[in-house]
Amino acid sequence: MKVLVAIDESEESFYALQWAVDDLLSYSPAAEENAIAAVTLLHVYPPFQPFIYPSGPGMHLVYATPVVIHSVNKAQREKAASILSRALTICTEKNVKAETLIMEGDAKDKICEMADELQVDLVVMGSRGHGAIKRAWLGSVSSYCVHNLHCNILVVKLPLGEGKPTGSK
Amino acid sequence: MEKTVVVVGVDDSERSFYALEWTLDHLFLTVLEKCPFKLVVVHAKPASTTAIRQDLKRMAAKVLEKAKGFCEAKLVNDAAFEVMEGNARYVPCEAVENHQASVLVVGSHGYGALKRTVLGSVSDYCAHHAHCSVMIVKKPKNKH
Repeated sequence: MKVLVAIDESEESFYALQWAVDDLLSYSPAAEENAIAAVTLLHVYPPFQPFIYPSGPGMHLVYATPVVIHSVNKAQREKAASILSRALTICTEKNVKAETLIMEGDAKDKICEMADELQVDLVVMGSRGHGAIKRAWLGSVSSYCVHNLHCNILVVKLPLGEGKPTGSK
Repeated sequence: MEKTVVVVGVDDSERSFYALEWTLDHLFLTVLEKCPFKLVVVHAKPASTTAIRQDLKRMAAKVLEKAKGFCEAKLVNDAAFEVMEGNARYVPCEAVENHQASVLVVGSHGYGALKRTVLGSVSDYCAHHAHCSVMIVKKPKNKH
């Protein structure tokens, strides 16, 4: 079973990974060479828009200098690397084989794209537990993926009472 | 050891049975000896007038028989089977509460965007409202 776990810096996605690793993936039969699952940890960071909209009347777009772009990209990559290394640690602690992948772009599109490309059987992601209204305005990665993925999806939520409450009516 | 309760919602569609089968194959077959999961299969029977109640009852019984057959074929003998009356969206979420489940598995109708807007999506509702993790199993278009 090939599994893709979508990770960002939120607590929910790490909880999702931990849950998946604990409950789903660490029960491989003893002598099995190819473990239950091959896990791909995917982190998508939003593209950096290299222009700045200054406020004030009649101002034009200001493009960030290459130095700024470069340092922001570097910071994003470093952040991505640290997120994924934390995720990888969670996997190796439970003897789950995992590999990491970093992409730039819109999270929901990239997740669906990679799921198709890698032909995964299951995508695991956390859910921020936004209410219906917030979800309509802010968009929901998990909602989009639920509808657009061609494979199975597991949306993991923080248990009630721990952190944010799950979706409201 | 406390078992993790997994609720699977089934109706009479092939997709939901595919979801049940997928769950059995991936969550239950992999660890026969010490299976950490307890399966609860739930069927939502729509609330009805007395006229069609008999028909619905019969259909519900058939659905659960079929589900039982699936489970036993995969050697899962301690699953629980339930019929709950109500809307297909609310029933799985309610079952999750009743059984304190950690996972809810539902199939997906695979409706397109338009149909989904008009008819609503059970799996979407469950994904957002169930108080536990939700797995949506989709039947692949070309089964390999």
